[in-house]
Amino acid sequence: MYENILVPTDGSETSEAAVEHAIGLAEKYGAEVHALYVVDTDSMSLSLGAEQLDRIEQGHFGEMTEIKDRADSATGFVADRAAEHGLETVEHVSAGRPHSLIEDYVEDNDIDLVVMGSHGRSGIKRALLGSVAERTLRSVTAPVMVVDSRDSA
Amino acid sequence: MTGTGTLLQSGLLPQGMDVSFKLAPAVLVLGMLAVFLLIGFVFRVADTEDMWVAGRSIGNIENGMAIGANWMSAASYLGMAALIALSGFYGLAFVVGWTTGYFILLIFMAAQMRRFGKYTAPDFVGDRFNSDTARGIAAVTAFLIAFVYAIGQARGMALVGLYIFGDIGFAGLSGYQAMVIVMMTITVLYLTLSGMMGATKNMAVQYVILIGAFLAGMYVVGWTQGYSTVLPQIEYGMLISELGTEFSEPFATASPYLWIATCFSLVVGTCGLPHVLVRFYTVENERTARWSTVTGLFFILLLYLGAPAYTAFGVRMFDVNPNTATTYAAEGGMSAATADVLVVVAAQFANLPQWFVGFVAAGGIAAAIATTAGLFITGSSAVSHDIYVNLINEDATQRQQILVGRLGIVALGVLTTLAALDPAAPIGALVSYAFSLAGTVLFPMFFLGLWWENTNRQGALAGMLTGLTIWFIPMINEVLPTYIGNGEPYVAALAQWLPAIGSALIGVPVVFAVTIIVSVMTDEPSLETKKMVRQCHSPEPMGQQQSAEDVVTDGGEPLDD
Repeated sequence: MYENILVPTDGSETSEAAVEHAIGLAEKYGAEVHALYVVDTDSMSLSLGAEQLDRIEQGHFGEMTEIKDRADSATGFVADRAAEHGLETVEHVSAGRPHSLIEDYVEDNDIDLVVMGSHGRSGIKRALLGSVAERTLRSVTAPVMVVDSRDSA
Repeated sequence: MTGTGTLLQSGLLPQGMDVSFKLAPAVLVLGMLAVFLLIGFVFRVADTEDMWVAGRSIGNIENGMAIGANWMSAASYLGMAALIALSGFYGLAFVVGWTTGYFILLIFMAAQMRRFGKYTAPDFVGDRFNSDTARGIAAVTAFLIAFVYAIGQARGMALVGLYIFGDIGFAGLSGYQAMVIVMMTITVLYLTLSGMMGATKNMAVQYVILIGAFLAGMYVVGWTQGYSTVLPQIEYGMLISELGTEFSEPFATASPYLWIATCFSLVVGTCGLPHVLVRFYTVENERTARWSTVTGLFFILLLYLGAPAYTAFGVRMFDVNPNTATTYAAEGGMSAATADVLVVVAAQFANLPQWFVGFVAAGGIAAAIATTAGLFITGSSAVSHDIYVNLINEDATQRQQILVGRLGIVALGVLTTLAALDPAAPIGALVSYAFSLAGTVLFPMFFLGLWWENTNRQGALAGMLTGLTIWFIPMINEVLPTYIGNGEPYVAALAQWLPAIGSALIGVPVVFAVTIIVSVMTDEPSLETKKMVRQCHSPEPMGQQQSAEDVVTDGGEPLDD
């Protein structure tokens, strides 16, 4: 049924709530787990200045240690959980707008299921922050499973 | 500020300026901003699917132009001419100060900052001195700098806005005040839209447009009025005798001490401004960092060499134009508000077509908006990255950072608008307060932090707190009374020897001394920190992918120099 399952993660508890679901399914179907962290360029230009984006474009991500560590620990969390169940994980980091890079990754890697967490934000918070899960749902053609972090505890 | 003794009212209205709504200039201003957004969109940051592939690298010409655009604010575009017009010879302190700083940057800091390879100015302070408190103080300072710097920009935008959009006073506000609100709203909107812009290419194009508008104004005014031909930068000298001694006599309006204090403050301030330094952490390598400083200085000089000439033309036309109803040398003479838009009114006095005057005016507004956008980003990064993520919520997600960053920008927008409704001084002077702050608090931390490995946490904390105190004293003495008092300093002697506009002359040596003495009296920093500092100025070329921290943690043995 599923061969490649993608878990987009930003290292938050919300996104980690989806990990168990993804691994459960991967185990059942013998699928490979992919963990993707997207460095949100929108967030970076606001919190670090747009000059930092040039740095990524020039291929200097390696010297941006704090951001790299954050990305690695987010995908590493998925890989560790998967390893506990004897599953291999492909870890990947990219930069841009999260939902569009998730879309690209799905297309380029024959992903047949996306499992991701969501805050279930509503009202003002949703208007201000938007929802990556919602945007991903709209743009990705593969099935998307959204795990609401409010119930998954 | 200086001897001209202008007391500013909130109903700021430049003398002789045609205040009315003008279609062509309005279209030009909005068009220019639209072009900025469009090129920002065209050169927007591409999605990076593979983080390890080196994309297009940015050369030093492009970087230099970006430095020029970042630097060229209303203070350079409008304020410099204003200060020269109001105070003649004293104004040259700004031409000298705002360029000499780049030499210090070039020699002592550009390449070294690149080696340290951090993200923001508070990051450098926090990591170099291993202290979250130091990071916090630096972040608050960076936020304050953005705020104070932006007040001058808001004043410039609003005054020029009066020419373009007319007197639209609403809700009991004067035309000027209404324009402050309109312009700051446009700035914040522009910033929201420009979030995804690629920084460097976009700024390089901005630079070309801005310098084009300024030089076109200068050349056309000089040419049509018969003041100059091909080299107005030199030819304006022939006008000097007609301009009166207020303009040309050294120290007629300000003492030599004030000249030196101002100039010194501007030099060290340049080296401490977070929005100037940010480019040096991120360039390709140290060589690009150095050469970008050189080309950047050249691009800045194109404006600065022209400013005195443009001012001389403007002052002369102010004298002969009947609409001003006064002359430069007369009692009262030229008001500060007029001087602040001299670059624009000179073109109007020269009877140039309205669209052309509008083009020069649009350049002034665009320069102010573009720099304010950069300042607000520095301010919001101090709040979201340095304070929120590093000190409050280490696990903050990227989404939360966006939210906090946007709140920071809105807060800055509101604060700046309020402070600019009744500004304390002309554009150039307002901006200089920010230079005094950057020079007194941040410059010593960068300089000692990069060059003296024994500078430690206690020294840095003591130094920064001393610096903040020294900066605040004249601000309270001189600037506060213009908001809540009669406009006169509380202590005149203090204003003379520790002027707000040049407080770094006293501040910097004191901060250096405090930092050094406290550092010597307390424990030396760890060997790891020392190695990091040595690595910053080791003669051994650094691999392009390494920062000083990497070299140290990788166990590389830095060369002693």
